Amino acid sequence: MKNELIIRRLELARDYMNLLDEAGYQLIDMNMVEPFHIEDKRHHSSTIIFEKNEQLFSIRSDWTRSLLNYNENYYLSHRFFGYFGPVVRNYKTFYQAGVELYRPSEHEVLKSIDMHLSFAAGQSDGEFQSIIVNDDKLLDLYIDKYQLDSDIRHLVYEKNISEIRKRLGETHPLYQLMAAKVSDQINLINGEFGDGEIMSFINHLNEYLTKYHMKFIVDLSFRSPQSYYNGFYFQVFLDHDHPLLSGGEYNSNAFGIALNLSDGGLL
Amino acid sequence: MITVALTKGRLFEDFIKYMEENSLNDYLQALTAENRSLYTLIDNVKFIFAKGPDVPTYVESGVADLGIVGSDILAEDPFNILNVSQLPFGECHFSVAGLPDQEEVETIAAKYTNIAFEHFKHQKKDVSIIHLNGSVELAPLLGLSDAIVDIVQTGGTLRDNGLVEYEKIMDIHARLIANKRTFYTKEDEIYKFLREIGVI
Repeated sequence: MKNELIIRRLELARDYMNLLDEAGYQLIDMNMVEPFHIEDKRHHSSTIIFEKNEQLFSIRSDWTRSLLNYNENYYLSHRFFGYFGPVVRNYKTFYQAGVELYRPSEHEVLKSIDMHLSFAAGQSDGEFQSIIVNDDKLLDLYIDKYQLDSDIRHLVYEKNISEIRKRLGETHPLYQLMAAKVSDQINLINGEFGDGEIMSFINHLNEYLTKYHMKFIVDLSFRSPQSYYNGFYFQVFLDHDHPLLSGGEYNSNAFGIALNLSDGGLL
Repeated sequence: MITVALTKGRLFEDFIKYMEENSLNDYLQALTAENRSLYTLIDNVKFIFAKGPDVPTYVESGVADLGIVGSDILAEDPFNILNVSQLPFGECHFSVAGLPDQEEVETIAAKYTNIAFEHFKHQKKDVSIIHLNGSVELAPLLGLSDAIVDIVQTGGTLRDNGLVEYEKIMDIHARLIANKRTFYTKEDEIYKFLREIGVI
């Protein structure tokens, strides 16, 4: 990697840490070697595990998971945490920066997403292109309302439009949703579940981010590669193929946001 | 601009036939040109030509936004892609085949070993599987295996080698697949192409 890229990454991390400090986040730094938990392996198959002195340890592969384990083992006086540092996945090192919010209100989540977008806008010449969001519970609403078999989930997750058409027919609302352009899905979902709590949050977020002039996309097929996200999940793209920001809800009452300091377009 | 990875060989010929039948003339002429190289640019669509197993790799990495590939490739290995649609061509199937007088099947030769393994595991049959890269029909003729798991299109190759189908495992067809990121970031171009080739 060229010198200027290494320096640029460190400058971004420093500016980001300063921003979090000013916003009242508790900054943390943790040991890269952690006690090994078998459930972590299920979430991150790429985690490196090793044995020393007849004990199993792992090398940090995901900050959110590390903080969650820490949070479950100790009483914490703060609810909002910020971090920057390396993680190792399949022998390769990546740099993660981000925040974790425990028991946040809707307003606190919206404010944190806005803070991240504002930071990224100030660091980049490019314009935000799109934000893509989903909440796994939206598909549950369709399954309940239309009494669908639960194996329809897999077809929606892989966006298997032809098989959904074969199973449900062309006039079924779920087929029509999945065959629609992804940027049109929000209107169709609002038509069905616009009054509910899930779409209420998504619509508030859409309004909150209007000032960034980016395409707002809801897609039921859009899911996190990290299986611990079990509710709302989002990614933001600059004019670039990899997400600049990603994050979402996990453990029912926690919310994480990660800033891409590798290939999201800031370097 | 979007990039579409096409599978070379029989599937490409089937795709050309499909375009002829559906008068998709904009793409047809350039794709069938004699001086076609490893890729062809037609308006806002760049077609690249790759071996079947490489098509999902190009799509997964984002080098290609869309791909047209046989479902055999997708069934053999997992790929982190959107498996958008079955296409109305490229039909064939996987079968277990062997010599007509074979009594017991304990050793299977296959190029697609994961599909063979899953099939016999599902049937609770304990078999040994030998990986071959091609000409799988030779294995039972030369005594390397008791039977084979392979793709059958018309059955002509099996008949020519004196083999018979014991059982059909699964249907195969062409599929359109998409990259999980650019499906959103290049939405307009991708949906235009999906409409043009009749997926939606």
